[in-house]
Amino acid sequence: MTADARILDRSYRSYDGPRSGLFGAMRTVTAHSMRHALGIKRRHGAKVIPVLTILLAYVPAVVFVGIVALVKNDAVKNDVLPTYPEYFGYISAVIFIFSAFVTPELLCPDRRSGLLGMYLASPLDRNTYLVSKATAVTAILSIITIGPLLLILASYTILGEGPDSPLHWLITLARIIAGGLCVAALHTSLSLAIASTTTRKAAASAVTILVIVGSGVITGVLVFGADQSVYLQLANFLRLPFESVLRVFGERTQADNGRAARLNDIPAAATIAANFAWTFVFATFVWWRYRRIQVTR
Amino acid sequence: MSADPIISGQGVVKRWGPTTALDGASFTVQHGVTGLLGANGAGKTTLLGMILGLHRPDQGALQVFGLDPMTAGAHVRERLGYSPEHHVLPGDVQAFDLVRHIAELHGLPRRDATNRASDALYAVGLGEERFRPIGTMSTGQKQRVKLAQAIAHDPQLVLLDEPTDGLDPMQRDQMLELIRRCALEFNIDVLLSSHLLEEVERVCDAVVILGGGLVVANAPLGDLQAARDAYLLDLDGDVDAVMKCLEQRLLTVTRDATQLIVEVVDDAQLDTIRDVVADVGAGIRRLERRRRSLEDVFLELLDTGQSVTGAR
Repeated sequence: MTADARILDRSYRSYDGPRSGLFGAMRTVTAHSMRHALGIKRRHGAKVIPVLTILLAYVPAVVFVGIVALVKNDAVKNDVLPTYPEYFGYISAVIFIFSAFVTPELLCPDRRSGLLGMYLASPLDRNTYLVSKATAVTAILSIITIGPLLLILASYTILGEGPDSPLHWLITLARIIAGGLCVAALHTSLSLAIASTTTRKAAASAVTILVIVGSGVITGVLVFGADQSVYLQLANFLRLPFESVLRVFGERTQADNGRAARLNDIPAAATIAANFAWTFVFATFVWWRYRRIQVTR
Repeated sequence: MSADPIISGQGVVKRWGPTTALDGASFTVQHGVTGLLGANGAGKTTLLGMILGLHRPDQGALQVFGLDPMTAGAHVRERLGYSPEHHVLPGDVQAFDLVRHIAELHGLPRRDATNRASDALYAVGLGEERFRPIGTMSTGQKQRVKLAQAIAHDPQLVLLDEPTDGLDPMQRDQMLELIRRCALEFNIDVLLSSHLLEEVERVCDAVVILGGGLVVANAPLGDLQAARDAYLLDLDGDVDAVMKCLEQRLLTVTRDATQLIVEVVDDAQLDTIRDVVADVGAGIRRLERRRRSLEDVFLELLDTGQSVTGAR
């Protein structure tokens, strides 16, 4: 029998097939960056932070779904279960860690090694390269900013505890996506901006955490300690994205939440606009930084 | 294959602050292997960056495949391969993964990119090593990976920036052979940027020589050398007298001990040499064509500031 015999031709041949052009290149970079950030096909150490943070982001959601499924007492459920925007209170630290450690992984090595030059020798240019990277960061951040809430919505719906009507269900879905994107976009642009200033991943991660926590401390001291304008809280990157989610859901900081209730003095539109404005400012900074980088000379 | 130049520049000027890298460079690059020569800092890498559409000319026009790389950059770069000078490969990535990724970046579907990554790595002699992390490879192997990623997507033109940098003589020979194969077997045009004249002379069909921001030569290698052929004249007799007579006949002569080196442009001048030697009563021990090396041509062009342009 020779039917199974094959000739394996390894010679170099010309290629006449289809080429996907610019959008194909962008898709490739985005997918590759996501795989890289999630530690896929990388050493075990590179998988620890993404896997751990994603698990931690979903654990509260699983617990809450379990409570809804197992506890029949509505009063207990009302006391224990958070609203959709309140869920971010459980995972805010996870989001900080994820954006601080994963985003630099996607930008810094390309510049440090010079691989950026090879990317820019493809159909990509600086802008499309950055859009591809930002899309990758936003997409993987959305795994933890949107994913757990979608899990809760789907589970509540299956358990008969979801929104009352199909319209309400769709509105909730839209708010989950919009709120999650608010958080992901601000963290993406902020961490990319910091990563664009250094080729060292560790430095970028440290500075990202410092800026987020520092902005919270400084604005907190100014507003609540020195009694300055509450609008300074719009520069509090620790709180602004989650405050924006509250406003997207039409909720406000609870009045019994001490000094934080002063944030209710800021209109919802101003909060959400500030979220977008900071996202735009940081994105513009990244764009400006990359325009100045000399790849070859 | 079209006779149109694959790259053409007309009065290209590029300044970096107070430094003028290119000061009105005009040139064409035709099919085959073309050497891009110049001293360090002559603007070779700047020109490669402009061909890739990474830098906009301050003045002049540059076209690649008949397109402006600044306005049609994606279309131009899709058909280009690029191997940078410095070692820019990520150490923790397998050679195969990198080559496949770059092929996908240039538009190949994943299945084709996978097949061609293997083919390209086999073609450069890394078939058995293709799943090794690049960081564990030798300098020679890394240079081969850079070449493989540059050709895996079957580009029309590949730009190689100092591809033999850091290689030992044997590895250099192998790399030059691979570059020659790119043009002859794979049908890929090559623009080879190098400051090593000897290797350009070995593999290139034509050269573009940069000097002082200008193109001082842009011609087929054979034309450049043949236009300045010299003959070595070993004499038995009065060498000084022969030299004086030849100079009186307006020939360019230099003396090297008992030998004369005479620049000859056409056969009539060979007859003149014969007649002069006979008139002086000397004997010719040896009359030998001395093909000038690219180095001779290069140094003379840069010294004299002459410009040589030839058609291919």
